[in-house]
Amino acid sequence: MSLKVLNPNAEVLNKSHALHMNINAAKGLQDVLKTNLGPKGTIKMLVGGAGDIKLTKDGNTLLKEMQIQSPTAIMIARTAVAQDETSGDGTTSTVIFIGELMKQSERYIDEGMHPRVLVDGFEIAKRATLQFLEKFKTSVVMGDEPDKEILKMVARTTLRTKLYEALADQLTDIVVNAVLCIRKPEEPIDLFMVEIMHMRHKFDVDTRLVEGLVLDHGSRHPDMKRRAENCHILTCNVSLEYEKSEVNAGFFYSSAEQREAMVAAERRSVDERVQKIIDLKNKVCADNDNNFVIINQKGIDPPSLDLLARAGIVALRRAKRRNMERLVLACGGEPVNSVDDLTPDCLGWAGLVYEHVLGEEKYTFVENVKNPHSCTILIKGPNDHTIAQIKDAVRDGLRAVKNTIEDEAVVLGAGAFEVAARQHLVNEVKKTVKGRAQLGVEAFADALLVIPKILAENSGLDTQDVIIELTGEHDKGNVVGLNLHTGEPVDPRMEGIFDNYIVKRQLINSGPVIASQLLLVDEVIRAGRNMRKPS
Amino acid sequence: MRETVTIQVGNYANFVGSHFWNFQDELLGLADSAENDQIFKNHGLSMDVLYRAGETQQGILTYTPRLVSVGFQGSLGSLSSRGTLYKEVRETPVDYLTWTGPATTQTSQPLRKNLFLQSLDWDENANVDSSRANDNAKNELHSEVQDKDIVECLENEVQYWTDFSKVHYHPQSLYELSGLWTDDKYFNNYGIGRDAFSGGLHAEEVNERLRFFLEECDLPQGIQFIVDDSGGFSGVAGEFLENIADDYPNIPVLLYSVRSPDSCLGPSNRKLTIARKLHDAVSFSKQSAFCKLIVPVGLPSLSASKMSKYLYLEDRKPYHTSAVYASALHSITLPFRMEPHGPSAQVSCTSGAVTINDLVQILTGQARQNMVAVLDVSVPAPAFTGTQFQQSLSEILQPLTPETAEDVEDMQALEYMTIHGAFASGSKRASISEVKEAVHAAYMNAVRRPKFSHLSVSQCPLPVPLPFPSIFGNLVGKNGELLDTPISNSASRGSLEVHSIPLAARLRSSNAILPFLENRLENLYKLGIARGALGAELLGNWGFGKDDIEDLGETLSDMVTKLNPASEASSDSD
Repeated sequence: MSLKVLNPNAEVLNKSHALHMNINAAKGLQDVLKTNLGPKGTIKMLVGGAGDIKLTKDGNTLLKEMQIQSPTAIMIARTAVAQDETSGDGTTSTVIFIGELMKQSERYIDEGMHPRVLVDGFEIAKRATLQFLEKFKTSVVMGDEPDKEILKMVARTTLRTKLYEALADQLTDIVVNAVLCIRKPEEPIDLFMVEIMHMRHKFDVDTRLVEGLVLDHGSRHPDMKRRAENCHILTCNVSLEYEKSEVNAGFFYSSAEQREAMVAAERRSVDERVQKIIDLKNKVCADNDNNFVIINQKGIDPPSLDLLARAGIVALRRAKRRNMERLVLACGGEPVNSVDDLTPDCLGWAGLVYEHVLGEEKYTFVENVKNPHSCTILIKGPNDHTIAQIKDAVRDGLRAVKNTIEDEAVVLGAGAFEVAARQHLVNEVKKTVKGRAQLGVEAFADALLVIPKILAENSGLDTQDVIIELTGEHDKGNVVGLNLHTGEPVDPRMEGIFDNYIVKRQLINSGPVIASQLLLVDEVIRAGRNMRKPS
Repeated sequence: MRETVTIQVGNYANFVGSHFWNFQDELLGLADSAENDQIFKNHGLSMDVLYRAGETQQGILTYTPRLVSVGFQGSLGSLSSRGTLYKEVRETPVDYLTWTGPATTQTSQPLRKNLFLQSLDWDENANVDSSRANDNAKNELHSEVQDKDIVECLENEVQYWTDFSKVHYHPQSLYELSGLWTDDKYFNNYGIGRDAFSGGLHAEEVNERLRFFLEECDLPQGIQFIVDDSGGFSGVAGEFLENIADDYPNIPVLLYSVRSPDSCLGPSNRKLTIARKLHDAVSFSKQSAFCKLIVPVGLPSLSASKMSKYLYLEDRKPYHTSAVYASALHSITLPFRMEPHGPSAQVSCTSGAVTINDLVQILTGQARQNMVAVLDVSVPAPAFTGTQFQQSLSEILQPLTPETAEDVEDMQALEYMTIHGAFASGSKRASISEVKEAVHAAYMNAVRRPKFSHLSVSQCPLPVPLPFPSIFGNLVGKNGELLDTPISNSASRGSLEVHSIPLAARLRSSNAILPFLENRLENLYKLGIARGALGAELLGNWGFGKDDIEDLGETLSDMVTKLNPASEASSDSD
């Protein structure tokens, strides 16, 4: 997909040209993304030159797949992607909002208005809208036991824009439970403690939450158990392989015996480390049937694996660095960096550890843990693009739940906020503004309506009818959103449609900033190409 | 056997890598087919060092390079990033399993496969239904006719590194950086690359892929890292190397920083020149901090070097130049794959096995601790006895490292040389001991001798695969022997005329690298550190604070001082 249309060959553009180029680029990007918006949006399948398939409904993913060339479009895209990075959602809305601000401005500019005046109006409107958002938001008290229902509603709202309803509803429970699992009172939520693992296997509906951890590797010894119950888990970062040493290079010893001796000494020190672990195993498993599992961040070479296997220990090597942290949170115990401080207290516990093999891929499940503070969302799907799409959705869902807990607030969705804010700007704020900046406020207010408009458009409804009905209902004093099935106004609260407060705030904040920059541009110089001109 | 993992970052690095893996694939193929030279059947080189054995979900066994390659989105041409082996079984035609709403499809123009890639597909299909012998025979006829066309088509059409690759890659191997919204023209400095990689999920994903390959290794000997350091990929590699150093402190990294001749062209204006000079200094200094041995590779012009006597190279074709670099890399890595054997071992076709760690010890472990090596190569290597080899070694070896001093006096020099497939005289291959003696004699006769030298010898020459560019001149014979009289009229000869070549390659730690280091140090001081330096702001934009830059300067001046203790006084006075 190319936006080459937006990339005229001119090198230095004067002010009016530059402005129109910016406006066109913003509109162009909006056109590409607007069909994505909402639960009735269009999914896009991208087929690459080599036949690779990508399937996405996520604005963020789509932007990254596009070969954008226009500098203006790149600027907007960067803002939108930054929006996703800070708040986890709202990429599509950002692009649409910026595009609409530019579109609204175009009308006034064509009538001869100076962009500066519009920009001043934007600034006033932005501040007023942010204040209004504070009033409009619905506070949620989190406390020790967060209201699961409200979290589910927020998660469902996001997920239903990315996946079909049944799957979205299934994932809703998964992401809410995952976040609640890793949440610790008085601490920020670290979403990295939710591992997202995927298996190309079975179907999307087999996606599930594993309380515990799934690792994408298995033991590397044929004699180690594939399934073990009642396991002590040793999480460690200790090298159990024959180390290189300074004297290893061939020319440092003079005879074969000398070399043998050095190799033997090296080997002995590795064996001693392994023996210490075996000793610990023998101590804790002496008079019971318990098993012992080592998950090591560093390597374990075949002789060490042999020794461990003979002692009945299951050993995994080269675990992800982050899994060291996750394991300890899931199973308890503490990570060990040296075999010298091994004690039974370092060990974690898991009721069941087993291996699942798919072709050459191995997965190790560490399950039935006590009181886990880390968990795994195991995504399944028949092919890569399905998995990738579910993964995107899960990430967004997790962020939505985290945001809600941290914001302690949500905002009514289905376009309700936008309609209310628009009416507030037009009916209240505009009167207080002197002079032509009023028009800037009006442009901003109308631009807000783009969200319900496009939601309606994507649902095949008549946008004019919908907007008239919504604003009318609002002016009667009701809070209204749009029912996408019927086109009737609904109360989003009854439907359980809630958006993240932080996402809205970020959107209101960053959109006008970029739009203003693009409007105030004097001249566009294509720096790179211009400089390459032979002098 | 100790495994290596190979990493390729950046477009030119992938070009070099593509040739490198073609050689390996050719070796594998030659060992299998019966009618070939004994040398290829028993080469005594373990392929498992570079390759991994795997299995698809359908239970088909695979053998693929242990490789992580990073490139631009779209730099894979007509090759799918999942490779070709691990295909998905499609029960149903593509359906939108996850969405019941409306759907649109955006299909890019499918990239046409060139004649060579098409012929690979035919072969594959022919193998599948080999029972139909009739078809097969027809196919063979088919291919006989076309080899010439294929070579010609590659000469003219190669655009992506995948265009001439005949290797099957693992789905975890090929990674594309998406969401850069820029092309290589603007992706041209360390700062951009670093930002692109560290933001978002790229770094995590690439690290995961490396871990996938390393986890399987029982006893990894090291990582070979090839980076195209002329642009933003240098920053990508810098971040990646830092992660590797953190995660695998015990695994040595051997870094080749390669660049194509056209990236060495000076930019036309002053601002870009400054940016380029600073980039070179920063990128070299950053990368050297996270590896054990760094080998800068990439001459501004190969066609103007002394290789042009036997080779016909076009500098503007990365397809040509990368082939030379890949050959040299292939030679350097041979000893990593030789089986070490004690004194009692049978007569074998290899001698002088080393591991990456040994190599690092040989070149950097001595008193001077210099970690920057110069790469020299002789393509094709001359016969190693008789009159020809009376020339000194330095005459037959062409440095591939830019900005080196010629003919320097260095009492502390350390060398590591690999010679393989060399001829004794005429068309008789030299035995291991003959080569050793010849080299020994050459050293004895030389005016300047290194302090220490390691020699690895193999009888197996470099096989020239079909997609190898036609770069041989008309003084090179069928098996790479050097002729006194031109063999044919055509100026360039390719894989159809030349089937293998002997090679000699050498890494040396010597003060010949001093100009390279001093240029970078000087540029960094003049443009980045000195008061009112023109590039200080630029470096700030790339995310380097004043302290960072001074650290980089320190690293560089340390390297210079190690090689040239006398320089310390002079750089202080600056």
